[in-house]
Amino acid sequence: MNILGLSRKTEKTFIVFYFVSIIALVLVIVPVLNVLLSHTPTELAFTAQQPDVYNAIILSVYCAFLSSMIALALGVPLAYVLARKTFSGKSVVEAFVDLPLVIPHTVAGIAVLLVWGRTGIFGAPIGNIFGITFYGTVAGIVVAMLFVSSPFMINSVREGFESVNPDLELAGRTLGASQFEVFRRISLPLASRSIMVGILLTWARSLSEFGAVYIIAYFPQTAPILISDYYLEFGLKQASAVAALLLLVTLTVFIILRLLTLRKKREE
Amino acid sequence: MTSVAVENAYAKLGEFKLQDISLRVESGEFFVILGPSGAGKTVLLDMIAGFIYPKQGRVLLDENDITRLPTEKRRIGYMFQNYALFPNMSVYKNIAFGLRYTKAPDRARTIENMMELVGITKLKDRTPTTLSGGEQQRVALARSLILEPQVLLLDEPLSALDARSRDLLREELRDVITQFQITALFVTHDQTEARLLADRLGVMYEGQLVQTGSVHQIFDKPKDKRVAEFVGMENLFEGVVISQERGLIVVNIGTATIEAVGGNDTGEKVIVGIRPENVTVLIEEGLSSARNTFRGRVTQILYLGPINKVIVDCGFALAAYVTNVSTETLGLDKGTEVSVAFKATGVNVISTLRQANSEALSR
Repeated sequence: MNILGLSRKTEKTFIVFYFVSIIALVLVIVPVLNVLLSHTPTELAFTAQQPDVYNAIILSVYCAFLSSMIALALGVPLAYVLARKTFSGKSVVEAFVDLPLVIPHTVAGIAVLLVWGRTGIFGAPIGNIFGITFYGTVAGIVVAMLFVSSPFMINSVREGFESVNPDLELAGRTLGASQFEVFRRISLPLASRSIMVGILLTWARSLSEFGAVYIIAYFPQTAPILISDYYLEFGLKQASAVAALLLLVTLTVFIILRLLTLRKKREE
Repeated sequence: MTSVAVENAYAKLGEFKLQDISLRVESGEFFVILGPSGAGKTVLLDMIAGFIYPKQGRVLLDENDITRLPTEKRRIGYMFQNYALFPNMSVYKNIAFGLRYTKAPDRARTIENMMELVGITKLKDRTPTTLSGGEQQRVALARSLILEPQVLLLDEPLSALDARSRDLLREELRDVITQFQITALFVTHDQTEARLLADRLGVMYEGQLVQTGSVHQIFDKPKDKRVAEFVGMENLFEGVVISQERGLIVVNIGTATIEAVGGNDTGEKVIVGIRPENVTVLIEEGLSSARNTFRGRVTQILYLGPINKVIVDCGFALAAYVTNVSTETLGLDKGTEVSVAFKATGVNVISTLRQANSEALSR
C-alpha cells in the first residue's frame, strides 16, 4: 500500500523504516501500559489512600503548578524579546535558555542548592529579609523545578509569538495602540495556545523532576522521590503502584496537551 | 487636510535602502509610488508611518516634524498588502480597535455608519479568516477610516485580489478616499493601477525617487531610460541629434533617422522613446501623414489577448500594438511587408546629459 504517495522504489525503504518504527514505539508503549495494567483498580485505590502517597502526589502537583506559573511570569517577556528583536549576543542568550536541558539533573540540583541555600547568593538575602529557606522546603522544590523546566516555557511561548505576523502589531500601532497595547490585545491572545502548551510542558517537566529536587529537598517528599523511596524500602511491587498513580495524573495532562496542539494544527 | 513631506531621507530596512528621498504630497492628493519590487517603496511608507526612523532627513506632516514621533501618535492610516486584520477579533471588533484610543463620542453609531459606508454590515460578526480578499480589504479600509486619519498609506492593497474584484475595489477605494478628503500615498508595481488612480506619481528605482510628475509626464515624457522602460515605453533607441530647427529635431539612431519634437542641441546624445501604442502599422506605402514612416517586415506577433504586439524589422526593431481585428484585416503574419509610422509628437526625447548628471549626483 502506497500510503505516502511515493514511488515503489522509495516504498521499499519505507517498509524497512516502518518495521524499525514499530520497534521504537513498542519500546515506549509496552512499559507504560505494563505499569498501568499490572495493578487492579482496587490496588490503586488502596495505594492512593495512603497519606504519604497522596501527600506526595498533591505536593508534586502543587509545586509543579507554582513552578510553571513563575516560569510563565518570567518567561513570557523573555520569549517575546527573543521572538521580536535581533541584538548582538542573541545566540548566547538562546544558549543560556537551553542550558538546563543539557545539564545532568543532579548537577542542576547542586548548582541550585549552592545559590539558594542558607549561605547562597540568592538564599542568604531572601532568608534574611523574608525568612524563607530553600533547603528541604517547598520553596526549594519549586526553584529546582523551575531551573530544569524553564526552557520548555520559553521556547514554546517564543514559537507562539514568532507565528504572529509582525504586520498585525504594526497595524495596531497605526490604529493608535501603544507597543504594550498591541502586545496585550493582539500578540498575547494570538499566542495563547502556545502559552497553554508552555504551561503544560513546564508543569509536566517540573512534576517529573527527580535529580535536582532530590539534592535540594529530600523531604518534604515529592512523588518521584517517594517512588524511589518505596522501591528501595518495599520493593518493586509497592513502588510500581505509586508509579501507576503518578502516571495516570501525567497522562491526563498529556492528553489535554495533545488535544490543544491538535486543535491548533487544524485551525491553521 | 494634511500634506506629507519627506526631506532628504536616508533609511535602511534589511537589504532595502532609501537614498536621499525628497517628496512632497499635497493635502488631499492621491499620490502613487510606482516601481519594481525591491525598489524600496514599502520602506518609504514604513518611514512615513514611523515603523522605521530615517538615518538622516526629515518627515513632515504639514509643517510638523514627525521624524521621530511614535507610530501611534501620527494619525496615519496604513493598509497592508495582506490587510493585517486581527484574526482573534470579529469584523466589528477589528473596526472598533482604534476607537478606544480616541475621544470619539458615540462609538457604536460610528462603527455602524462606517460598516454601512463600505458595505460590510452583514459581516459584522464574522472572523477575518472566513472573509474573501475583497471583504478583508473593505474591513481594513473601514478600520483605518473610522479614525479619520489625516493621511492614508496603501501598500499594494489590490495585489492580492483577483482581476475582477481588483477593478471593482480600485474604483471604490478611490471614491472613498476622495470623499474623505484624505491625502493618500499608494504603492504599486502595476502601471495600469498607477495610471488609473494617480493625481500625481513618483517612480522609484533602487531606493531612489527617479521622477515625480503627472500621469502624462511620467508615461509620455519619462526623464530617464529606467523610467521609460518601466512605464512600458518599449521602443528606446540611442542616437545623436543631427539637426535642430524650430522645435523639431532629427536624431540619427545609426540605422535610421527619427524626427521628434524637442529642443536639444545638434550633436547631443539622446535616447528616443516611442510607445508601441503610438505606432501605426499599414500595409501600403505613403498613406500616413506621420513624419516618421519606415518600411519593414513583421518578425514576430505576440498574441496578448485583446491586443497584439507586432515586432517589425525596419532597419531597427520596432514594437507596435495592433488590435486583433486590425491584425486580421491587415493580414499580418510573420514576414508580411508593412509600413510603420509614428508622429514626431509621439517621440519622447530623453537627454542623456541629465541622466549622466543625476547618476553622478546619486553617488
